[in-house]
Amino acid sequence: MHLVSYEFGAFLVILVALYYVLPGRFQWAVLLAFSYLFYIRGGVIYLLYPLITTASTWFLARAMGDRTLRFRAWVKEKKPGREEKTACNRRVKAGQRRLLVLGLVLNFGILAVLKYFRFFLETIGALAGLGGGEGVWAWGDWILPLGISYYTFQSMGYLIDVYYCKYEPEKNPARFALFVSFFPQMVAGPISRFDQMREELYKPHRFQMENIILGARRMLWGYFKKLVVADRLGPAVAVIIRSPETYDGIYVLLGMIGYAIWMYADFAGGMDIVLGTAKLFGVLLPENFDRPFASKSLGEFWRRWHMTLMLWLREYIFFPVSTSRLAKRMSKLASKVMGKKAAGKVPVYIATLTVWFVAGIWHGASWNFIAWGLANGVVLLVSQEMAGGYRRFHAIFPFGKTRAYEIFQVIRTFLMFAFLEMFEYYPFATVFAMGKSLLTSWSAGQLFDGRAEALGLSPADLGVLALGVALMVRSGFRKAEEAEEGTKRRSFFARYIEVFGLFVLVVVTGVYGRGYDASQFIYNQF
Amino acid sequence: MEELMEILEDMNPEVDYETSQNLVDDGILTSFELVVLVTQISDAFGVTIPPAWIVPENFNSAAAIMAMITRLEEGE
Amino acid sequence: MNVRKILKISAVALASATVLWALQRLLVPKYMGKVVEGALIREYYEEKSPHDVIILGDCEVYENLSPVVLWREFGIASYIRGSAQQLIAQSYYLLEDTLRHESPKAVILSVSAMQQYKQDNETYNRMTLDGMKWSPSKVGAIRATMMEDEHMTEYVFPLLRFHSRWRELEADDFRYFWEKRKVSHNGYYMRADVRPAGEFPAERRRSSYAFDERAWQYLDKIRTLCRERGITLILMKAPSLYPAWYPQWDQQIRDYAGEHGLLYINCIEKSGDIGIDFSWDTYDGGLHMNVYGAEKMSRYLGDILLDVPGVKDQRQEAGEGAMAAEWEEKCRFYDEMKAAQEQEFEDKGYLSQFAQ
Repeated sequence: MHLVSYEFGAFLVILVALYYVLPGRFQWAVLLAFSYLFYIRGGVIYLLYPLITTASTWFLARAMGDRTLRFRAWVKEKKPGREEKTACNRRVKAGQRRLLVLGLVLNFGILAVLKYFRFFLETIGALAGLGGGEGVWAWGDWILPLGISYYTFQSMGYLIDVYYCKYEPEKNPARFALFVSFFPQMVAGPISRFDQMREELYKPHRFQMENIILGARRMLWGYFKKLVVADRLGPAVAVIIRSPETYDGIYVLLGMIGYAIWMYADFAGGMDIVLGTAKLFGVLLPENFDRPFASKSLGEFWRRWHMTLMLWLREYIFFPVSTSRLAKRMSKLASKVMGKKAAGKVPVYIATLTVWFVAGIWHGASWNFIAWGLANGVVLLVSQEMAGGYRRFHAIFPFGKTRAYEIFQVIRTFLMFAFLEMFEYYPFATVFAMGKSLLTSWSAGQLFDGRAEALGLSPADLGVLALGVALMVRSGFRKAEEAEEGTKRRSFFARYIEVFGLFVLVVVTGVYGRGYDASQFIYNQF
Repeated sequence: MEELMEILEDMNPEVDYETSQNLVDDGILTSFELVVLVTQISDAFGVTIPPAWIVPENFNSAAAIMAMITRLEEGE
Repeated sequence: MNVRKILKISAVALASATVLWALQRLLVPKYMGKVVEGALIREYYEEKSPHDVIILGDCEVYENLSPVVLWREFGIASYIRGSAQQLIAQSYYLLEDTLRHESPKAVILSVSAMQQYKQDNETYNRMTLDGMKWSPSKVGAIRATMMEDEHMTEYVFPLLRFHSRWRELEADDFRYFWEKRKVSHNGYYMRADVRPAGEFPAERRRSSYAFDERAWQYLDKIRTLCRERGITLILMKAPSLYPAWYPQWDQQIRDYAGEHGLLYINCIEKSGDIGIDFSWDTYDGGLHMNVYGAEKMSRYLGDILLDVPGVKDQRQEAGEGAMAAEWEEKCRFYDEMKAAQEQEFEDKGYLSQFAQ
């Protein structure tokens, strides 16, 4: 089922009614049942994969938890000496590590085979000089279950947390299944942590009109971003970025900015729908965006964009890799060459590039995404190296705190992000050529040479887009939670005007369904 | 504690580590700096900080960091 | 306090519904200009007096028969429930719908729809189905003929289908917001321009001449419904030169009619008897009749229809009553439009309302 469909609307109405009619202790079970219903609308076979992940993760986490409990009971009963205790602890940990590795290999293995097998074959083929058309590797095209990257990462985060004894594993497999497959977040995140969600998902929720209104409001904002802005902008941006040979010069800039806005509207809009939907059930999901375009540096940007994925990578890749034995050994090795201070940074470098490699390949199985990820990593490392220099610079020239300079930083960050996105959509070799074309051969006249018309945006469309962007910028001044608090304080009619106005705007100017093509309605000789 | 303060000052001399209580949450210590910090603490104090311990609660203030080091030294 | 809250909520609900209703009314196509076919189905519900003859089908009926001539020259009260590319299933549900309102004596069904069971152009579906009043028949018609990417929801709320027209609203959308003007003459779509028949591509051979099984089922349903209601069913194929009406098809319909004792009139064969002159009686080179062809067709069918039990010349009976006045008004409207179109065609050589 798609989050943007009539079917989803009917699904929600039925589910909300059922959810609040039933006694609180059944609510989570209803959510689970409907989550599976939501999922199997795409085909029953798809449910197999989340079920494997759910079952294996639940079982392995329980096995780990049991060992910890047994160890503790043993310590309590036998009161062993320190050495004996350490030895036993080491054995327990080793056993748990085997379970952890088993879980990680199995689940990331499924993800890798389903998502990356074809990419892998293609790369091998290209290296071996086989070339070959699309068809050659078609058998590597497996069915890709919806949201597999998201629920796999979320489940593996849980498994690692249990390994580190951050919390007790869940005993009830059905409850755990809801954590893996709660329908709003299963398809596109946010990737959440079990200790945050446990309460939210399993506690009984009383009906509160406030939740329905705020949830619907959030969903409408999401539909607005997605249907009015993203789906209107998307096709035009696609025309630009798919034909770099036609759309050069100033169009490179338009494509860059358009792509960034499209991505934000599409993704953050989707998240608004997801978080709003969860809110209908009184469930609070973690935010995934915190007005990223207000960031003053790329580092800050990546702490405010797709936050839950970035947190995941930080917690489960960046820290473990940077504190790993391998990183330390490399650091020691480097210290002989470049001195102790510089060598101390080696683990950071290794960890950063690992994280961004994973982030790249996470976004898609292609070298474009890997190039994009590594480019981001490099820029972040360079700016980190320059941070000290900046500080000294601003100590001497104190305009760094002025409003104008902040605006400059925000624009610079936006352009940096947008520029790096070029690695995603242009072939690697052309990125720099396009950048050069933008800098050397652009003129405003290019906007009127007929190429703009081929983008298919009428003046009315541009007007709606301008309105959409203006509304998004305006809402960018406040955090989502603050905006909701603000809504609560407003009068009944003010809230009604906002919600209903938004609804009308989405229904009328949204891009959905069959477009009305007047020429289609001309009776053509039949 | 002095040793820790030295490491911190060295990373970013502008911050007042005596009073700051939200070093991580306010974004003063970024992930990069956290990792550099972890490496330097490991070297200076001879302790190993497991990845699971790298959480805001342990790094939000100089006192919290010191408390963590003490716990590690006691071999918990 | 509680009463106030209820009042507040009802006021808001009412206001929202009104705004959405008005938006929908504004944004759906009005079919009052170049494309009037979408208005035909709806106009039926404005009729006051009953009809003895109901005519069902696609453009082969609503452009080829003139109810005004049937009245003026034979006293037969008839109505054409025709629409662009009306599928056989839609004809069935339109018959059901019509029988909710009146009990005709005869039904003429155009059989050209037998050749295509499934809809291939969504706009034709909208033009046929949107005009129907809500009833189980409308739901049935939508269910039976909806294309794969169409949704029932978009029929219940046409706003969802036509929302993107906000960019191309025309004067007509405001002019006909409240009231529509009449565009048809009892379902007849008038064209008084002339374009002589020309050359047509040779008939393509087909791999199979069998009609779809489901088309046969709906033809059976129409036949059964007519029998149950004591209505005489007449099958008709209009005199068009193209697209081809293959002999194999003709034979199947002929056999079916024979088997069930129905009258089947193939007007292509009869075009000599009818007196059709393809250099004058068509407005688009032989695909459809213009008003001159349609009038000849009506004169030919008039005598046949008077033979049907229950169909009679009502002019005497009507006398000076309401029905007579109604028809008098229809004749006046018909004559005026015909005269105006003839004048314009003579002056300009084309009709501006329908020009590209």
